[in-house]
Amino acid sequence: MNMKLSKESVLGLIALGIFVGMGLFTPGFFSSSNLNNMMFQLPEFGLIALGMMVVIVTGGIDLSITYIAAFSGVGAALMMTNGFGILPAIVVGILFALACGAFNGTVVSKIGVPPILVTLGTMVLFEGVILAITSGNAISGFPDAYGLIGNGYYMGIIPVSLLIFIFFIILTAVLLNKSTWGRRVYMYGSNDIATMFSGVKNSKVLMKVYLYASLLAAVSAIIMTSRYNSVKVDLGSSYLLQSVAAAVLGGTDIHGGYGKVMGTIYAVLIFQFIRNGLNLMDVHSSLVDVVIGAILIIVLTLNFFSDKFSRRKAESSSEKTA
Amino acid sequence: MKFLLKQKEFSVLAIVVIISIILSFVSPVFLTVENWLDIIEGNAVIGILAIGMTLIIITSDIDVSVAALTTAVTVSIGYLFQFLPDSWISVVLIFLIAPLIGILLGSFNGLLVSKIKIPAIVVTLGTLNIFSGLVLYITNGNYINSTNFPDSFMAFSNIEIAGIPILIYLFALVAAGTWFILKYTLIGRSVLAIGGNAQSSVRVGINFEKVKMFVFSYMGFLAGIAAIAQTSYTSAIDPNGLAGLELTVIAAVVLGGANIHGGRGSIPGTLLGVLLLAIMQNGMILARIDTFWQNVVTGAIIVIAVSYDEINHRRNQEKLSNIDVKEAS
Repeated sequence: MNMKLSKESVLGLIALGIFVGMGLFTPGFFSSSNLNNMMFQLPEFGLIALGMMVVIVTGGIDLSITYIAAFSGVGAALMMTNGFGILPAIVVGILFALACGAFNGTVVSKIGVPPILVTLGTMVLFEGVILAITSGNAISGFPDAYGLIGNGYYMGIIPVSLLIFIFFIILTAVLLNKSTWGRRVYMYGSNDIATMFSGVKNSKVLMKVYLYASLLAAVSAIIMTSRYNSVKVDLGSSYLLQSVAAAVLGGTDIHGGYGKVMGTIYAVLIFQFIRNGLNLMDVHSSLVDVVIGAILIIVLTLNFFSDKFSRRKAESSSEKTA
Repeated sequence: MKFLLKQKEFSVLAIVVIISIILSFVSPVFLTVENWLDIIEGNAVIGILAIGMTLIIITSDIDVSVAALTTAVTVSIGYLFQFLPDSWISVVLIFLIAPLIGILLGSFNGLLVSKIKIPAIVVTLGTLNIFSGLVLYITNGNYINSTNFPDSFMAFSNIEIAGIPILIYLFALVAAGTWFILKYTLIGRSVLAIGGNAQSSVRVGINFEKVKMFVFSYMGFLAGIAAIAQTSYTSAIDPNGLAGLELTVIAAVVLGGANIHGGRGSIPGTLLGVLLLAIMQNGMILARIDTFWQNVVTGAIIVIAVSYDEINHRRNQEKLSNIDVKEAS
């Protein structure tokens, strides 16, 4: 085989295969209402997974990302229930998230604490702040126009939230691949010391990574609050570990240095198709978690053996030439 | 004295003492024997798990599946109770079978980490989903209460020796045993060596895969014991009762001075970390602080503690490099 497919393309084919397979074996999977459902569910999880991926590319992890989202949702909700307009509410929501991101970024980049510890602490901290503000209650009752972000259509067919998601996919891909910052993110992820000695200000790069992840979390929060018309402390908290799983399944190296936007998107699609298809088949929702966990481990195990196989092949062919 | 001050454990101990002094002024109940026994008994499960987690973190790995693993064992115990006769043999059998199930599940993690070389955080994330998904599917999320437990097990959990509940003895036994393993056995020293420098420890002949396998299996073993402790403490089996506990366990270990990059960490330190989280929680309840603020305080303390540790660590490194330069010139 001369044409070598990249890891991401293989994943894309798997996603397509699952899509077709689910469609053939589950009645109603291809129905327009179901496809519609999936289009509406995709953006909120996808945005958080993208944010997580960017952090993982630097070799870090952001355990506080879903609480940043919830915090930003609470900020926007408080503005709206206190009579402010939609636009100021969204701005405040994003500012709330950026403040959290700046806090994470400062502790990680200036003090140099491992991201897993910082975000473990801030996760508990942000959760506490949200609880203190909301007393654990849900905030609801937003203006009707706000609901259009998560439930509305553009030109009658494409969900607005999906368009927002596609915009951020393109933005993330362009930033990571074309901007100086993006290249530095990969450099930092593969070797932070070499990056420092090549004249890059690491702390600035890292700071922007945590700010960007929190921005994506805020956008996801706006879509979620608009779709559910309410916000609570556990807004999106089930997406936390799933987003790490999606990034890793999408080929992102957990030690940093490698990760492609499309890989993560394909992984998000795979999760979505499986979850939705199994739900339609009436499979217990807990078993869906089992399947997702198993897929994660099986794919990485296969990866290990295929790497070993190709390495052995390379070795034996080099022996022959020698 | 200077040596004592330099120890990481000492600064944690100092914080524990300071908080205790403040709390004893806030509430007269705080400094009573009963309250302290309650605190220790109530945190025995976290403590036992944190001891296992210490070994994993020393080898610079992490296990986010502990809570799910422990729940899986508690549910198995609940299932076993249906078949066991009501006699002391059942208690002995539980103490044999529960750790065995734990070791089995833990070694699955260990196998994937050591042989297949998947990063531990990814492996345990996967097994967390698998274990908790299966548990919720099998139990349907249903709670089993003590009416179905053998009386002998209930009698066991109510044993008190010299006024101290049996769980505290169990916890102490686990702590002392693990401390001994870490300090005086070959495998324990290998754990520390691998954490300190994996490459050079492999060069001196330490079996890297075997040590990784050991720490994850040992975590499973302790999860089995923690499952018994949890069942006897709550007198119930709740498939959702431990959800999210893994992060508290990791926080306790890290507060106790273990370094997430490996090589550093001790049993006394971890015990102090568990105690710190526990007395804070207890103290805030006694001080009648709104429960909503408790997370804020806990989170802030974790962030401050890890930042302080990092700043200190860096200062020490700088001192070391200064000495190097002087010697060279």
